[in-house]
Amino acid sequence: MYVVRPVEPADVGALEALLAASTPGVHTLPRTREKIAALVERSCASFAAHVDIPSEETYLFVLEDLEHRQLAGTAAIHASAGSNGTYFAFRNDVIQQVSRDLNISHSVHALTLCSELTAYSQLSGFTVRDREKAGREAALLSRGRLLYAVLAPHRFGDRFFVPLAGVTDDNGQSPFWDALGRKFFKMDFLDAERVIGGARNRTLIVELMPHYPVYVPLLPGLAQEAMGQIHPSGELAFNLLAEEGFEADEYIDIFDGGPILQAHKNALRSFCGSMVRRVATQDQPPGAPAQLDTMVNYAVASSERNFRAVVVPCTPAESGDTLCLPSWAQQALRVAPGDNVICVRI
Amino acid sequence: MLVIRAITLDDVDPLIEMARQVGSGMTTLKPDRDMLGERVSTAVASFAQTIPPEERDYMFVMEDTANGRLAGVCAIKAAVGLNEPFYNYRIGTLVHSSRELNVFSRMDTLYLSNDLTGSSELCSLFLMPEYRTGHNGKWLSKSRFLFIAQFQQLFTEKIIAEMRGYQAEDGTSPFYEGLGRHFFKMDFDHVDGLTAVGKKSFIAELMPRQPLYVAYLPEDAQAVIGQVHRSTLPARKLLEQEGMHYEGYVDIFDAGPVLQGRVSELRAVRDSVPTVADEGTPEGECDITLVSNTKLDDFRMILTQTCNGGAKVALSMRELQLLNCQAGDPVRTLSLNVRKNTNA
Repeated sequence: MYVVRPVEPADVGALEALLAASTPGVHTLPRTREKIAALVERSCASFAAHVDIPSEETYLFVLEDLEHRQLAGTAAIHASAGSNGTYFAFRNDVIQQVSRDLNISHSVHALTLCSELTAYSQLSGFTVRDREKAGREAALLSRGRLLYAVLAPHRFGDRFFVPLAGVTDDNGQSPFWDALGRKFFKMDFLDAERVIGGARNRTLIVELMPHYPVYVPLLPGLAQEAMGQIHPSGELAFNLLAEEGFEADEYIDIFDGGPILQAHKNALRSFCGSMVRRVATQDQPPGAPAQLDTMVNYAVASSERNFRAVVVPCTPAESGDTLCLPSWAQQALRVAPGDNVICVRI
Repeated sequence: MLVIRAITLDDVDPLIEMARQVGSGMTTLKPDRDMLGERVSTAVASFAQTIPPEERDYMFVMEDTANGRLAGVCAIKAAVGLNEPFYNYRIGTLVHSSRELNVFSRMDTLYLSNDLTGSSELCSLFLMPEYRTGHNGKWLSKSRFLFIAQFQQLFTEKIIAEMRGYQAEDGTSPFYEGLGRHFFKMDFDHVDGLTAVGKKSFIAELMPRQPLYVAYLPEDAQAVIGQVHRSTLPARKLLEQEGMHYEGYVDIFDAGPVLQGRVSELRAVRDSVPTVADEGTPEGECDITLVSNTKLDDFRMILTQTCNGGAKVALSMRELQLLNCQAGDPVRTLSLNVRKNTNA
């Protein structure tokens, strides 16, 4: 049994252990205790804040294994990606080359440094313990944070994006970086990520990165191949996000060329497929085989004020106005029969 | 003897014959009767001053008077880029710097430009192989500077010459392979052919409009920017001696350099001497010299030995005939070679 909930000050120690074991590809979460504590503090303040316009808030969620009382994953949302500056990305552009006189018509792929993602909300910091073995709880974690956004739409933008780590080799070298960023930054990929702290909204980016379109055919083959490709560690996140309704083709990361998935919230299943239902108690304990057949898994979330999300098999709730939850789920969600929850099939 | 003179309509047929020997690489001399015929007509009208100065195209031929054959050709276009756009890449610099990271990157860029629009262009120089001896090549090239010196008012302030770019052993252009091919999807020869039939500006319109960072290009393409074809190296040196310089403009296809010079700073303009023809034999210390008459509609030039100093230049009867001059007519002289210690 797992629950997704806002991070709490008491989680700092467990977070430090969890993040220490996570992939080096994820640069969006801090590793030191001091910085983790600062992030947790910021998150708590964000959840507590009254928000009119999404700004500097960062919401950090944790996945808790209720059985073992352990943290099993993290996921975050920045309310506004560019709150401290402009969020930079490369946009995939197609330049049409047409000459009637010469009977030539073809298109050239170019990358343009753009700041369109600045006002989007950014999903980041997705980590799951034992990624290879992860099951439904990973889907719960990915979707849970979006259910919070469904419950508290005023805290977020109308559009969301997620940068996923790009391809690097065993030595941490990125072929895309080597063909592009290195020429401007004059340093290794990991060194650059370290000095910039994984950020994409720093002024020094516009100081150093190319202002003019990068014509893709001019890049070395390896760099072209790496464009839009995910680091193997990001496969789980990618699949979950694609299922959610995120699209990958429009933007890539300016450093490693990894894909940036983006979507309008109305295109996301958490938004368009979620339903408000009243909680009822499941009459019969689950276990009867006939009943199991008809049950479907729902991600269920409580409320903005006291946010919790779980994944639980229930009888289909589409036609009724109630959702029958077993008592453990009611406890985990901290709801009682008669309370409203939102739920979406998972 | 050889004489360089303004082209006439009678030269069209021999010129086409000569153009057959030129081969690829020279886009302004293709053996096409319509094109060359029209060009010669323009040239004749230019010397006759019946068309406006900016439309003129002064073509000169080197004729072997012994057999009446043409030995070479060269030309000056009064102004480029006024009918269709004239494109070059300008090598620019962009500095990317971050104090915070202590990074300072100086990046070369290629800007598609029409900056040289309106300049006069030295072009279409070709010397028949059997005449590539002695001073002929040098003379043919430099003859244009003496013409410019004599008729400065006909030219804009800037003179340019596009030099053929570097090619590998197999005739491919590393710059074209690294850049143009991605945008045109055709072979260099094909592009070259299109350029010859006046479609260069169409092709240029397929080039990216935004500046390009040179650092994106393959190393072999980067290395040849501003480098001439091996066979063009002597021609480049010669133009540089006359006061022309590479100032960061290159051809958009092969990155061959464009040499530029200010009319007022050309050696010919500074050092050529207006003087008077006299019949006689030169005496004293002599020098190989270009001597031209001063008639635009019957421009003629010879290469001969003349002496320094003196108010007049002594020429033989035969030489006066070649210049269509008589003793007492004005002429202009320019030493063929750059004097080592001029005006010391």
